[in-house]
Amino acid sequence: MTPKAFAASILLDNRITVCVGCGGVGKTTVAASLALEAARRGRRALVLTIDPARRLADALGVEALGNQPQQLSRATLEALGVPAEGELSALMLDMKRTFDDLVARFAESEESRRSILENPIYQHASEALAGSVEYSAMEKVYEVWKNGDYDLIVVDTPPAQHALDFLDAPQRLIEFLESRIVQILIHPAMAAGRFGFRIFQQGTRRVLGLIERVSGISFLEDISEFLLAFEGMSAGFRQRALQVRSLLTGPQSRFVLVTGPSDESVLQANQFRRRLEGQGIELTGVLANRVCLWPDGPVPDEIEASPEDLQTLARALAEANGSDLPSEAAARAAVDAARGYAARVRRDARATRELREMMLSQGSFWGEIPEQSLDVHDLNGLLRIARAIFGEEEFSRGDRV
Amino acid sequence: MDRPPPPAPAPSSAPTPLLDRRLVIVTGKGGTGKTTIAAALALAASRAGKRVLAAETGPDEHLARLLAPGSPPVGYLGRELLPGLRVMRIDPFEALSEYLGLQIGAPRLVRRMLSNRAFHQLMAASPGWRELITLGKLWHLEQMTDGQGRPSWDLIVVDAPATGHGVAFLNVPSVVASAVRSGPLRRHSQAVEDLLKDPARTLLLPVTLPEELPTRETTELVKRLRDEAGIAIDRVVVNCIVPQPFPTGLAELDAALARLSPQLRCGELPSAGALTHCASFLRGRHDLSLTHIDLVGELTGLPLVHLPFLAAGVTGPDTLEILSRGLVAAEAYAR
Repeated sequence: MTPKAFAASILLDNRITVCVGCGGVGKTTVAASLALEAARRGRRALVLTIDPARRLADALGVEALGNQPQQLSRATLEALGVPAEGELSALMLDMKRTFDDLVARFAESEESRRSILENPIYQHASEALAGSVEYSAMEKVYEVWKNGDYDLIVVDTPPAQHALDFLDAPQRLIEFLESRIVQILIHPAMAAGRFGFRIFQQGTRRVLGLIERVSGISFLEDISEFLLAFEGMSAGFRQRALQVRSLLTGPQSRFVLVTGPSDESVLQANQFRRRLEGQGIELTGVLANRVCLWPDGPVPDEIEASPEDLQTLARALAEANGSDLPSEAAARAAVDAARGYAARVRRDARATRELREMMLSQGSFWGEIPEQSLDVHDLNGLLRIARAIFGEEEFSRGDRV
Repeated sequence: MDRPPPPAPAPSSAPTPLLDRRLVIVTGKGGTGKTTIAAALALAASRAGKRVLAAETGPDEHLARLLAPGSPPVGYLGRELLPGLRVMRIDPFEALSEYLGLQIGAPRLVRRMLSNRAFHQLMAASPGWRELITLGKLWHLEQMTDGQGRPSWDLIVVDAPATGHGVAFLNVPSVVASAVRSGPLRRHSQAVEDLLKDPARTLLLPVTLPEELPTRETTELVKRLRDEAGIAIDRVVVNCIVPQPFPTGLAELDAALARLSPQLRCGELPSAGALTHCASFLRGRHDLSLTHIDLVGELTGLPLVHLPFLAAGVTGPDTLEILSRGLVAAEAYAR
């Protein structure tokens, strides 16, 4: 199998592809390109972003994406070579709405739904406080997957530390719901106010009381009330969290790490990779984005420019451009530019070598997307990225991967 | 390398100079080099004779690696890596332990409680407090004094979370201050908010790249944090500016090369096609830089600090110093 065909088989031929990586490496555009390529191969593809910076909307040229998938128009898709059976949709997560929907789904009664939505702890948890986006992101991935409207869901994740929260989210939710403190609080026999806290050691109880006094909020009462309201929901919630976890670690999901070519981003990518492995998640592949590549073959170690060769180039330049061009200076400048670019190519190759060799040696995918001299912020830019990963082929109707 | 163009003139109401602030919060879209700029700023301030604390807020330590390559982790207590320059990483759990210990006056009890698994899980699942406690720790550091009543730190440089999360990060105190009606937590959130919104003490320093998405995000950041949240922002750092790639008089070199047959080879030189590729790449990146530099200045209405792209990367204090000088030179100009 050629590398390009390998890319298609592992990046597109599954149900969920999660793009992870640090900020600023072009993860969102890569995720959107993968979805676009799947659509071009006649699949129904969705790209889901949970990044609050609205980059996907930029990349897709869509001003505002709602909390529901938005399908690109048929005309737009046709221009991109997407056949009739192919689809491309994008979804930008609205964290608060997703969480509220979740509460509405699992709440036992209208009263319990209201009691949760109005609880201060819930409001803190679900308002746009940093870090709380992950629970609902996972929920949305699951919901969309379960509806079965898409052959491939590509998930874009927020930068570095938060992406890991995103992966931890289902597990954290399960641990939280199963934790002693929650069990005590939601257990009906002990649920009357602070009675439950008698279970705690004397010292801990004193500290909790002091926190309450210090904080000025009835921390424990609010939590207790919140968890009580959640009581009816917790079974549904826990089951859901388990389903989400198994969805992400199951065979239908693949993880691809997107990295930049600099020492700094490769270093961060490696930290990221180790954390994923610590979570028991294996990377399917790495896509190195914005790599400077030499246009024809391997980059020369050094660009020698003898006076004769410079003369020849200067003459050719003069012939093609007329006498206005200072052709000798131009020949020297062209060589300088080539040396400058070659230095970038070598630097990127050096920075990525170790990670590339590691991925290849374990049979994982390694792909390189060339640095473009233009910003990628439109659909044609996404198409260029897709072609760099998957090759130049055009797909006829019904031609599936 | 060409000298970067001078920054636009400072606005007429002269702002407090960069190094005279107490707290400079460096933020930017991921990948813009905000950590590098935070390190360069801390270095500049310490070279100017200030007592400087540089604080990381992420899970990994990067500042120490930039300022003193090969140094062991600095941790929560931090370490003096260069004369007058201490680096620490604010771990939210450590900060919470310290805060509760101070408030309750029973540090051992607090430590025992924080090591309680159930409590740990409860905190791990609760949003918002990490941001609040991190900012609270910064406030505490800002308030600290030495034996003579002078502030312990002249300048605290913070490597803050990336833009999207940075906005939420800095909004937490006002969310809490508005949600909690009374008590010490309210007072402390209020104190943190007051510090953040005091232009004489606190400055937010956005770092951007001369590219499309960072330009948009920076514009959004300025709108949300300066115009809506009221945190002082008086300049934008534009990092990694690609210098003019061709000598004077040869601005159209790429076009001149493109007129040759791509297969043409002059002796040992790369093919004309390859030469054209190299030249048009450098030209394209440079033109793009100029467009976005203009755009970010126009959209934010702020003076810009231009910093060059360093082809060899930033490997330690020597290369950092190039950026430090750029930050300080812009400062002299602004004054």
